[in-house]
This record gives sequence, structure tokens and C-alpha cells, in this order.
Amino acid sequence: MIETNSLTKVFVGKKWKVEALKGVDFKAERGKVTALVGPNGAGKTTLLKIISTLILPTSGSAYVDGYDVVSQPNEVRKRLGLVTVSDRLLYYRLSGVENLLFYGALYDMSIREAKKRAYELLDLVGLKEWADEPTMHYSTGMLRRLAIARSLMHDPDTILLDEPTLGVDVASARKVRQLVRKLSSERTIVLTSHFMHEIEELADFIFVLKSGKIVAKGSPEDIIKMAGMIVEAKLDSNSVTALVERFITKYENGYAVIRGPKSIVEQFSSDFYEIQPSLEDAYIALVGENEQDFRPYQFRRGGAWARERPV
Amino acid sequence: MSVLSKLYAYLYLRGFKVWISYKTNAALTMLSWIIPVFTYYFTGTALGNRIVSGLGGGSYTAFVVVGLAFQGYVSSTITTVSQRLRNEQLYGTLEYYVLSPSGVLGFLTYSSLWGFALNSVNMAVILAIGFGLGVKYSASGIAAALIIFVLLLLTSFGIAAMSGAVVMITKQGNPIAFFFSTFTALMGNTVFPVTALPWYLKDLSYAIPLTWALQGLRGSLLEGLSFSGLSNIIYVMLVFTLITVPLGLYLYSKAFDKARKDGTLSQY
Repeated sequence: MIETNSLTKVFVGKKWKVEALKGVDFKAERGKVTALVGPNGAGKTTLLKIISTLILPTSGSAYVDGYDVVSQPNEVRKRLGLVTVSDRLLYYRLSGVENLLFYGALYDMSIREAKKRAYELLDLVGLKEWADEPTMHYSTGMLRRLAIARSLMHDPDTILLDEPTLGVDVASARKVRQLVRKLSSERTIVLTSHFMHEIEELADFIFVLKSGKIVAKGSPEDIIKMAGMIVEAKLDSNSVTALVERFITKYENGYAVIRGPKSIVEQFSSDFYEIQPSLEDAYIALVGENEQDFRPYQFRRGGAWARERPV
Repeated sequence: MSVLSKLYAYLYLRGFKVWISYKTNAALTMLSWIIPVFTYYFTGTALGNRIVSGLGGGSYTAFVVVGLAFQGYVSSTITTVSQRLRNEQLYGTLEYYVLSPSGVLGFLTYSSLWGFALNSVNMAVILAIGFGLGVKYSASGIAAALIIFVLLLLTSFGIAAMSGAVVMITKQGNPIAFFFSTFTALMGNTVFPVTALPWYLKDLSYAIPLTWALQGLRGSLLEGLSFSGLSNIIYVMLVFTLITVPLGLYLYSKAFDKARKDGTLSQY
């Protein structure tokens, strides 16, 4: 189980200060998939990295199975498997099984033990027939599955997955989701994703994070209910304002098709009709875009620089 | 078992297998071990012998062979640790070392071992070429040479830890490695004796462990001096070890604490 209380993280640079987390209370239970969603720069990765002891919090507390991430990092690390977002998470010149063997050795496993475990995991993630192929020949989906296998080498109870299907094709993403579901029965799983259908399919509980704060939490059904009645309407393209911009789903014959909470849409059009809301509708209604998209510590992904200059 | 599997992982898998997979790089690296010996041999026969024999130190070839063979331990360890650390930081794999029970200290130790292992081949090649060029090694000094050699490895490990700390803070790999390699080659008694340096650089040279280690290794391997004859050098090397290793480990661990605070364990 994971629990954080009033967790904050402030990054301070020479000319900037970013409050990445502002008093986050988060909880993830064993046997469930807990999702962390939010726009870029909302603080999802920071939260995962604090839980995994890779970043120290500014204040507040975080526990994994009762162990404090600051004062008992070694106990936490034993219980944790992490899959971060990166283009390069493995040694490309080594094969799939060699990569796993390497990480097995880091976890004090003997060569024989690591080899046995590596092949079991390669089988689990569907890469057994590619075990001896250098990973530089793997597709993105295969690399993500191998990264998940690596996180399981020491058989941790808790797995943190940061955007596990990012850049992965549809069929491979489906395999990753099947794998997550399989793993979740006996473990605590936390995952972040921008794909709401994926969250809807996998998550038992969702935390919605925006600008470092939890703005909503609950089961997928609860989150959908929070958005209230969702309606769709057509709006003259010329009358689109910043307020409705995030609700536009498409442009059609000079009209913008908007889809959002009735309370907002009715301000712009009286000609609307109710639709069955999805998690994505609820997400857009609750969050939209982030006010800050600034990663002081992570410049790996696109769109990393300040959309709005932080203070 | 755990140490064996780590040696297998770091030295064979991440070290040798990756290194040899870049075939051109591996071939050029091996050439770079050999070429300097001949370069200094030919320039030495024209110029160096006068300097070295003038100081009562035997042939220049013998001087430079021992210098090149052991200088590599300093440069290759620092280069290996700093470049490796920087690469892992760039790829995001450094975080996985932090998460593992081996930790960042295991990373430092085993990465240094790869540097030592690679340079041991380099050393053997250079000493063999030296033998072929007429250098005579003394068997009676081997025990003393071994002690000095171990102390050289330990100080190199300490300096490598310091360079690792610098890499973690500055996010620069190559320039640091290049600086240390060039600096030690120039100032560390490697290809010309310290006494040939101007007085203001000579003092600085004595602040480098390599200067003392090479003096001791030449004394033991070329002149057959024993412990008693090299006690001063062994004592100085011991002091260097007692300073560089704890200081290096302290700075290295502080640099990682800072990276965890700043969130920069993985960063371009």
C-alpha cells in the first residue's frame, strides 16, 4: 500500500521556483490499479519519483507498505518496481535476457537465479522468442514490455508505471494493458497515462492531479458523475472563445462541435443535446490544460519548456 | 555469489560485451595503447634519454613504458566512471542503480573495476612492448610494486568518486575526464620526470598521487628496490589513499543527495 500525506515539492532554480506538488494526499491499495491522471506538468512524475525515493519531498510524508520514503529508502526500494518514461531505459547493445540478467545481478541474484527469473518474465511479457536479440532491434512496445519485466525482476509488491503505453502501437498497448491487469491481482499498481480509455479500462481508483493539487478522486464512475450532465452543441467558429476551446472535439462546415458540461455549453448555445459522458469528457471538464507545464528537472520529453513562465 | 554475478554483469555484460560490440572503437582503443609507446620511444631516443640519464634514471624508454602503463589506471578509471555516470544520467538508467540494493556505491565500485580491468590489458601490452624494446624488469621489486600498485588503484578510485560527484553536479562527462587524463599525463611524472618541470609546477606535480606512484613503480620494477628503499613513497601513497577515498566517497554521496533533492538524477 502507498500513502502520502500533505506532500509538497518545491523546485528552486536561479530565476524560478516551481511548486510541483501542493499538499498531495494520495493512497493506492494492494490488489488494485490506481491511476494518476492530469495534464503535462501536473506533478504526476514528481509524485511517482518521490514515492520511489528518487526525489526528496520538501514537506509532508510518503509511505510504501508503512516504510517512510525519506528515512527508510532501502526498505521502500526493496518493495518497489519502477518503469519510467524514457527513450532509453535499457542497454541497447545487450539482448533482452542480458538486460534482465544485468538488473538481476544488481538485486543480488546469482547468475543462475537471475537467468531463470529472466526467462520466466520474458515469457510473461511475451518476449521469450526475442530473448537473445539485441534490444536495439526491439520495437517501442517490446521495449516497454521489457522495461516492465525488468521492474519485476526482484518480485516487488508495488509497481509504478509512468505512461507505460506512451508511443506504443494499438496492439502492443493492448498487450501492456493485459499485463498490467494480470499483475494487479496481487500487487499495488500505480499508473499514469494520458489515454483515458486506458484508465477507464484498467483503473479501480483515479486521482486527478492539476498544477500539483488533487482536484478529484474516485472510481471511474465517480469521476464521470462529477462532470455532471455532458452535452454536445454546434457553435459558429467565429464565436469560439478561450473558455470553450478545450471542449472542441472537431470543426465541421464552419462550426465547432463542442462537448462539455451543460452549465458551460448552455452559455454559448441553447441548441444542445445530452450525450453519454466518457471519462475523457469528465477529465476535460474537470481539468483541461494545465496552467504550468514546466519540468525543472526533466527535459526528456517534448513540450518540456514553460508554457507559462513560473514564478 | 552476489559479487560473482555483479562481476559478470558489470565486467562481462555491460563492460566487455558492450565495448566489443563497437568494433571500430575497440580496435582504435587497442591501437591507442600501442602507438604512444612507439611515439615516445622514437622521440625519446632523440631527446628524452639526455634528460632522464642526466638525472641518473636509466633509459628513457624504460621511464616512459612504466609511465604509460600505469598512468592509464588513473585516466581510464576517471574516464570510465565520469562518462558512464553521464551516459546513465542521460538515458535515465541511473535511477535504476539508485533503486537497486547495490546502489550508487556499487555502480561506482564495479564501474571502476571495469576501468581497472581494461587498463590491466593496456598495462600488460605496454610492458610487453617495453620488454620487446629492451626494457629489463626487476623481479626483486615486484612485491613493493604490488603494494604501490594497490595504493594507486585506491587513490584512483577516490579521485574517480570525486569526478563522479562533479559529473552529478555539472552534468558534464567528457571535459572532466579529458582534463584529468591530460593533466595527469602532463604533470604526473608520466612521460618526463617531474624534475624537468619549472619549480612552480613541480610543487603542483607532487600533489598528484600518480607522480609518487610512478616514482615508486620505476624504483621497484626497474631498479629492484624493496619496501625499505621505497618506504617514503609507500607512506605518501598511504596518506593520499586515506584522503582521497573517504573524501571521494563523501562528495559522491553528497552529490547524489543533492541530485535527489533537485530531482536531477536523470537530466540532459
